[in-house]
Amino acid sequence: MKQLNKNWKGIGLFLLPAGVLYSLFFIIPLGFVFYVSLQSWNGISAMEFIGLTNYRNLFQNPTFILGIRNNFIWAMALAFIQVPLAALIAMILTRKPRGWRFLRTVYFLPNVISQVAIAMLWISIYNAEYGAINQFLTMIGLEDLTQNWLGQIETALPAVIIQQVLYIGYFMIILLAATMSIPESFYEAAQLDGANVFQQDWYITLPMIKSIMVVCMTLAISYGLRHFEATFLMTNGGPANSTMVMGLHLYRRTSSLDYGQANAVGTTLILVGGTIIVVIRRLFSRRDKAADAVQ
Amino acid sequence: MRLNKTVAILLGVLLLAPALLIAGGGQQAAPEQREIVLNWPTIWVGQDAKATVVEQLVNEFNQANAGQIRINMQPSPDYDGYRDLINTSIAAGQVPDLFVFNVDPTQFQYYDGDLLMDFTDDLKGPWGNRFVDGAIQASTRNGRVKSVPFESALTPIWYNTALFERAGISQFPTTNAGFWEAAEKLKAAGIVPMSHMTGGTNAWTSMLWYSHIVANIGGPDVWSKPLSDPVFVQAAEILLRMYQDGNTTRDAVGADAGVSGGHYQAQNTAMFINGPWYIGNIRTNSPEAYANTRLAAFPGPGNYQGGQIGFLLSNLAAANTNDPARRAAVIKFMQWMTEPANVARLSLDSGALFTIRFDIPPGTEVDPLQQMFLEINSSATFIAEHFQANFPADVVAEFGQALGSMALGRSTPQQFIAQIRAAAGQ
Amino acid sequence: MSIPKTPSQHLLTTLKWIFLGTFLFVTFVPLIWLVISSFKTNFEFQTQPFSLPAQWQFQNYVNAVRTSQLHILFFNSVFVAVLATGLNILVSSMAAFVLSREQFKYRNIILNTMVAGVLVPIISLMVPYFRLIRILQLYDTLFALVVVYSAVNIPISVFLIHGFMTGIPKELEESASMDGCSFVQRFTKIIFPLSQMGLVTSGTFVFLYSWNEFIYALLMTSSISARTLQLGIRFFRSQFLTDFTSMYAAIVITIIPSILVYVFFHEKIIQGLTSGAVKG
Repeated sequence: MKQLNKNWKGIGLFLLPAGVLYSLFFIIPLGFVFYVSLQSWNGISAMEFIGLTNYRNLFQNPTFILGIRNNFIWAMALAFIQVPLAALIAMILTRKPRGWRFLRTVYFLPNVISQVAIAMLWISIYNAEYGAINQFLTMIGLEDLTQNWLGQIETALPAVIIQQVLYIGYFMIILLAATMSIPESFYEAAQLDGANVFQQDWYITLPMIKSIMVVCMTLAISYGLRHFEATFLMTNGGPANSTMVMGLHLYRRTSSLDYGQANAVGTTLILVGGTIIVVIRRLFSRRDKAADAVQ
Repeated sequence: MRLNKTVAILLGVLLLAPALLIAGGGQQAAPEQREIVLNWPTIWVGQDAKATVVEQLVNEFNQANAGQIRINMQPSPDYDGYRDLINTSIAAGQVPDLFVFNVDPTQFQYYDGDLLMDFTDDLKGPWGNRFVDGAIQASTRNGRVKSVPFESALTPIWYNTALFERAGISQFPTTNAGFWEAAEKLKAAGIVPMSHMTGGTNAWTSMLWYSHIVANIGGPDVWSKPLSDPVFVQAAEILLRMYQDGNTTRDAVGADAGVSGGHYQAQNTAMFINGPWYIGNIRTNSPEAYANTRLAAFPGPGNYQGGQIGFLLSNLAAANTNDPARRAAVIKFMQWMTEPANVARLSLDSGALFTIRFDIPPGTEVDPLQQMFLEINSSATFIAEHFQANFPADVVAEFGQALGSMALGRSTPQQFIAQIRAAAGQ
Repeated sequence: MSIPKTPSQHLLTTLKWIFLGTFLFVTFVPLIWLVISSFKTNFEFQTQPFSLPAQWQFQNYVNAVRTSQLHILFFNSVFVAVLATGLNILVSSMAAFVLSREQFKYRNIILNTMVAGVLVPIISLMVPYFRLIRILQLYDTLFALVVVYSAVNIPISVFLIHGFMTGIPKELEESASMDGCSFVQRFTKIIFPLSQMGLVTSGTFVFLYSWNEFIYALLMTSSISARTLQLGIRFFRSQFLTDFTSMYAAIVITIIPSILVYVFFHEKIIQGLTSGAVKG
């Protein structure tokens, strides 16, 4: 064990390249972001130190608070709907049903296509006058159920979230990489013991991919918290700010040349997200230790 | 111990580096060169209507000044991206040699400090006489003109004569009562009266409708009034009515400019608002709607009839410099771009309007719809700006959100204005 | 292998195929729609988004190539995406190796700090990155984009690769180290090959990110020799109008390489790996 532990030179050498890049592109710029968040600055005149005023203004702004709420909804939807769906599909595809290669490729394709095109497609699907959903409802005689999906406060947020949640490709390929790494001999042994498909997945696959599941959920939560693009393209926060998210708030403040408040949003987002992620990781690692102790 | 030292040094560097970022970046290397190169990140590229002629003009300028001045165009497509590019460069202390900006209160902050070249004295001479009345005035802040007025816009009401005739209306109404009667007749004939939208970054079509209504009630100087003035609530009531009773399409709340324009092009709606840049698009996409289109003023209930909404669209700006040769080169180029003959070429090819007076060369064929724009521009009783020219970007964004809320019955016209006032800090 | 199926197994199979079929539909529609739309006129696209074109507009593809100079931009994009992916995977896998396989002080702090980078809204870094690239003298070069794209993706890559490396059984490494494997050899001979699934997965993400990124490509470069495909696609958007159908033609042209990379590169490696795993 000695030679494994005390290789400081090797450790330092291996961490150095990533450390340098990370410092240059994250730590230092984030220092700048935090510094500017305490200033009043339009990018043109000199900065003026105003303490926590930007933060106070943010948290007194009901639109921003609504944005935080919506980001939480996003994070929950991605972590607890999208990731489990992706895991389910990964588990099915691992068993190599007919056409699994084709399916795996196609499921991932939406992630290759630009977001702009996907957003335009869904705007057309949801449109009240000529949209696919309303046309379908009218066709099957349910005209009363037609809606202006992206134009109503009740339906706009779910509509944007659903189109995103359906594209499981991203998490699917992460999870698939994990499930495919499980040696087939594990399953063969279980089959001999008479375990059915569900039992195999529950007792073999899930525990084996647990660490990757946690990775996926953590990623899903961060994507939910910093979500911006689909909302910007599909509703731009409307109607009546009902689909507002923090990223959009940041973008609007930036376009209004209010860098102080924009960076206060960025700092808040990182602090809130960081707290959540640390809590999650603690939760899982504690459970791990507890499980180890039992064994 | 050695490790601790390394950690300490690393930490020190990390702490110092942000200071470097905050202070640095301002230095601008000015190598001694005989040829002056001016970099121009330009948005007028690709499929922009002005792209072809702008490129021709720059090439001609470069040829005429070969060896002395060279304009280096840096194609920078995407409108939002271009704005981010300019804002970011400026915030990082690197003002582009030449650039274009949209004329609104947010972008006018560029005038702060002395980042921009000041043209105040240059424009007092004959150069200034090339511009239409009020253009230089509108580009002045605190007595200084730090950008050259260039492209302007006029956004009259477009209406479809064929749809009006189908509803039994032979002429565009000239009274407010007539306007709403026409709307009823159109609906009776199964035609949606007008295109509206709350989406996009600025609720473009509806924001222009609102500007027309406000100008009709409050007159040409309406934007000098505070938002607490009753005119704004009164106009909001009319705007709300346009969203009710099938006066607009069902998808108007949440719609973007593509949807709103698409309905007019598909001849689903009989009225619409946009500027001359839309001519080329509608001509290729929907020749029928194009041929049926005529332009009008909004016949509102107010005392100011026959007015139009027009505004400065984009100004040319340049980085400030201490080098007289460089400054002379910039001014030479600005004067070239605002040369009446050159502007005539630009305008006739693209359909765009400009702040520079020019004569149409005899024998030139002008697009009929563009001709209507020129006519309505000169026959308007007055021209008022649009909402967007008077409020920063975040207030303009809030306009669409407040409108959506009002159109959905969540707020009253009073609350609509209150929401915008809150965003504007009034 | 043919074990007779019980009715409940049949139901299960049916459900499975309905489930897979639904997702197939949802994910396939955008691609089909994109391709069909790229052959329409803008008027058709705007007013009948789900119809077939009355006349197939091959002209859109001519426009796409002519307007956006895709041929020049294409090689720039390939250069940037390949180098950024390579640099990112090299750097991230080294860090992830140490962070997952070594025990040392500050390990968790370093890991958590790096992973927290996943949260950073990249658009808030426009001004600092612009300055940084100027200071590094990389402005208007393809290397500016290589560095930015590989750096921006370090958090996710380290996180993912770390996740995969953690799962490798300790015994393998310990026995190797008994056999006299050096520190570097443990990385190159054991951990790196065994975590290839994770490497390929994060490599795919970095590649796609680099291929699709727009705003930093615009900010960090100014001449055509240093610009990438995404800028070409935006040539169809002007201030008030977007030529959607030509833009879609350009998008179709640009996603073909992404799909090819994904299908051939990714599939080949994973196939090789899984067959290897079965044998091993």
